[in-house]
Amino acid sequence: MDVNTAVFAVSCTSTPITGTRALQKKRQLNQFLAEVERRALRIAEIAVRDRDEALDLVQDAMIKLARNYSERNNDEWTPLFYRILQNGVRDWHRRQAVRNRVMVWVGRKPSDDNDYDAVAAAPDPMGRAPDEELSNNEAMQRLEHAVHELPMRQREAFMLRMFEGLDVAGTAVAMGCSQGSVKTHYSRAVHSLRETLEDYRPAEFGSGDGKQ
Amino acid sequence: MNEQDDAFEKMAKDAFDASVDKLDAATLSRLNRGRHEALQELERPRRRWSRWMPATGVAAAVLVAVVTLQSPMTVDDEVGATSLADMEILLGEDSIEMLEDLEFYSWIDIAEMESDVG
Repeated sequence: MDVNTAVFAVSCTSTPITGTRALQKKRQLNQFLAEVERRALRIAEIAVRDRDEALDLVQDAMIKLARNYSERNNDEWTPLFYRILQNGVRDWHRRQAVRNRVMVWVGRKPSDDNDYDAVAAAPDPMGRAPDEELSNNEAMQRLEHAVHELPMRQREAFMLRMFEGLDVAGTAVAMGCSQGSVKTHYSRAVHSLRETLEDYRPAEFGSGDGKQ
Repeated sequence: MNEQDDAFEKMAKDAFDASVDKLDAATLSRLNRGRHEALQELERPRRRWSRWMPATGVAAAVLVAVVTLQSPMTVDDEVGATSLADMEILLGEDSIEMLEDLEFYSWIDIAEMESDVG
């Protein structure tokens, strides 16, 4: 192998990290993904309203994070992971839009978003359904529906800040926008959701004493 | 943010966390499998395609041109907007990643190596 070939080979491939460092990195990434995966699934599920699709999106995000960003500092993983996931969700919505247009073009009725059955998609209550749990499920379904109806950027800001607990800076990285935009989207989302949910179970979601 | 917003946020967070805690075993199993599949990526040699990005861009542009020229739907603004949206998808990051798997790039790879050696 001459020098040019050697340089080419180095530039074209990177060998996997090996030894103790590799094991440590794998353990850290496994721990990170295990911590984040369930919340990520629910966030994706609220965005696309389909658990199977959400599982695929989360798995894709995990694979891309491992493939492209495993060498980055661990504290960068959370916003990077959610950026990948949000991009996946946006891409999913775009593909759905194209698919629906194609189905209209070939004379088939596109899937109706309103066909979503929140009860069927609700988490398995493990066979036990005390009143409190039913009440919580109902509250979450209402919240889920309201969050899904938000404009995309507001929905992203709300879910990343509220459900995942990212700070403003991390949310900005995940959304690919400024921190100011995050604050604006988040504030609008909260007020919109409160307004939407005020009529329902004021003790759960509304102020209970009228709008501001 | 005021107290009412804070109360709303707490209730929303609690409801969300409860829904996360109640994910069923089958779903958790699928997440677990997906995670381990992702971790296998760490053990695979990775190809760096930045070298081929210009070629990828050209390939994507040709693909878009072919689709656009062959599409019968280029007559009004609405359809024009539709085509633009489709182009955005075709040129999206994922589409480019899809192209990475094409044998075409393997061919370029081999041809480049041969020219370097030669």
